[in-house]
Amino acid sequence: MPRFLIRTLLCVLAAAGLSAQQTEVVLTATSSTKLVLAMTAPKATGLDDASIAAEFTAVLRRDLDETGIIAVLQERLPVDGAPAKAWKEAGAQWLLSTRLTKAASGDLKLEASVLDTAAESGLFSRTYNANKVVPLRYLAHYLADDLVGRLTGEKGVASSRIVFVRQVSNGVKELFQIDRDGADLVQLTRNGSLTLSPTVAADGRLAYVTYKAGPPEIWGQRRKDGPHERLYPASGAGGMLSSPTWSPDGKRLAFVQGDRRGNSDIMVLDLATGRARRLTDSNGINTEPAWNPNGNQLAFTSDREGGPQVFLMQDDGSNLRRLTSEGLYNASPAWSPNGAMVAYVSRFEGKFDLFVYKLGEGKAYQITTGVSTSESPAWSPDERRLVFTSNRFGSSQLFTTDLSGRQIVRLSDLAGCQSPRWIRGR
Amino acid sequence: MRYGIYVVPAAIVLTLGSLACKPPKTAEQIKADTQRASNEGYQAFKDGKPRATNPYVTNKEEPYMAQGWNDGWDKAKADQEAADKAAADKAAADAKAAADAKAAADRAAAEEAARKAAEAVKETVHMAAAKALMNIHFDFDKSDIKENDRPTLQHIADFMKAFPAAKVEIAGNCDERGTNEYNLALGNKRAAAALAYLKTLGVDEARFTTISYGKEKPLCTEANEACWSQNRRDEFKLK
Repeated sequence: MPRFLIRTLLCVLAAAGLSAQQTEVVLTATSSTKLVLAMTAPKATGLDDASIAAEFTAVLRRDLDETGIIAVLQERLPVDGAPAKAWKEAGAQWLLSTRLTKAASGDLKLEASVLDTAAESGLFSRTYNANKVVPLRYLAHYLADDLVGRLTGEKGVASSRIVFVRQVSNGVKELFQIDRDGADLVQLTRNGSLTLSPTVAADGRLAYVTYKAGPPEIWGQRRKDGPHERLYPASGAGGMLSSPTWSPDGKRLAFVQGDRRGNSDIMVLDLATGRARRLTDSNGINTEPAWNPNGNQLAFTSDREGGPQVFLMQDDGSNLRRLTSEGLYNASPAWSPNGAMVAYVSRFEGKFDLFVYKLGEGKAYQITTGVSTSESPAWSPDERRLVFTSNRFGSSQLFTTDLSGRQIVRLSDLAGCQSPRWIRGR
Repeated sequence: MRYGIYVVPAAIVLTLGSLACKPPKTAEQIKADTQRASNEGYQAFKDGKPRATNPYVTNKEEPYMAQGWNDGWDKAKADQEAADKAAADKAAADAKAAADAKAAADRAAAEEAARKAAEAVKETVHMAAAKALMNIHFDFDKSDIKENDRPTLQHIADFMKAFPAAKVEIAGNCDERGTNEYNLALGNKRAAAALAYLKTLGVDEARFTTISYGKEKPLCTEANEACWSQNRRDEFKLK
């Protein structure tokens, strides 16, 4: 029911947005106007209409909707086979035609082409061949990613995944991953203990904190697809450990180490030498390190001036400056993939909302509003959306939002999720 | 009759000679005689006769008899000595085994007593711990020890002094509000606050370990202050 409401709301918003030509979009990464795309019904061989509708058309439509830059024309569609002019008059700028073929072997083939309705010329054409183990959904994702690439020059993120923490029983939390569209849930760890704070390097290497030995330890993969091993401490107990975060080059791991006097500090571990260096000066809580894309600065949360606020510093601890100025509780910074924005959460009237600080403007924009809390923002690889947790439909589920905060989509109905991280590939 | 002079003395000589010179003994006879003498010697030792009573010493013609008797006597003596030694060894071994068994029993009893004592102590410690190790609580985003938790911490300090071997883990916890990571750091701060306070009460801080569970192990999960205030806590656990 709530899902239906949201959908309806989104349709209304999309319609309103279309008629108003998206003039009131506050924040988008590149463009504030959406390209209007119309889809003709896929021509199919060897596949039934129901599975195409469910696993291809619906998936592609959702993928394109969530790009935030392509609007799929839904109403007053001309009949299939109508001339380009008719589609143009209906409002479509691009006309997508697809042909799906399922061979007797089970292998899939997707031929897609896009017609520019104004110039009446083809501007995209590609054939996708997929082995029978690849679900039809993935073809829709690949096509959506290429259409975004054709439009913006950067591939979309429909075929990306989200790694997150989920409670499996009282006191036991494990890492899971799920496709960006909520399909294909996979459990990544089986520690039977608290397992927290996942981080995924650009090459897919995982690191996280686990309490499986009693005190917390940082575990992860030293090489791509390698075994999970203890990364820190090398031996003995390391005190309070949390928030491991791979540097963009994957060679260093920022993390947090707490001492017995109650301080917690940002540390950086060099994986090659095994040496850890302390960047902050043991003056209260310093946590939640987030690298900038160059790997030479870190955003983090500190209570050095009273309540938690977001600070920035160089990767040697120098040039420390406070980023957030409004509000009494700002935390959970996430530096955007292109480096121009920092997402964070701010507490107001007992719940949290997502904010994005634009470094160029020196200004923060509120993304989410409402009575429910929104926490743990993480950027999509293309910087167009944020994944976060919210209790708006129950206990801490995963959602994504565009940067205007108007297109909020529930990723899955799994409860008890936290600390999502959004990464390319699967 | 002329020859009678020779024949008679010859007959006499032959007769006497044959009487005087017994035929030599065969090897079998010698062996049997020696065995007999040996048996006699063996029996003589058993009868308690000294070696000097060898009756064959005077028999110079059959020295093997004397030798056999002596050998028999010596063998009896050797046998006697071996038997004595075996008996002595056996007695010693029995005595040792008995002593060992007793020692083991004593040790087991002592261990049992010690275990019982330790268990009693442990039970006492646990009972005292159950009474003394109560949670303390904190205000939102704070790690200051509250006035009304001071008696609780004093009880914990008293407990630590009463049981100098006891070791305790202090676990800092938070309510569900706030980020996971910040709350882990805050939980660490709360555990450290209790540790510092207990140190001022004169307890060796090395007897405590600290751990933070942030907001990951709540006692209750409702979204209201009554529940949150329970969750913002330090737990003390006997290690």
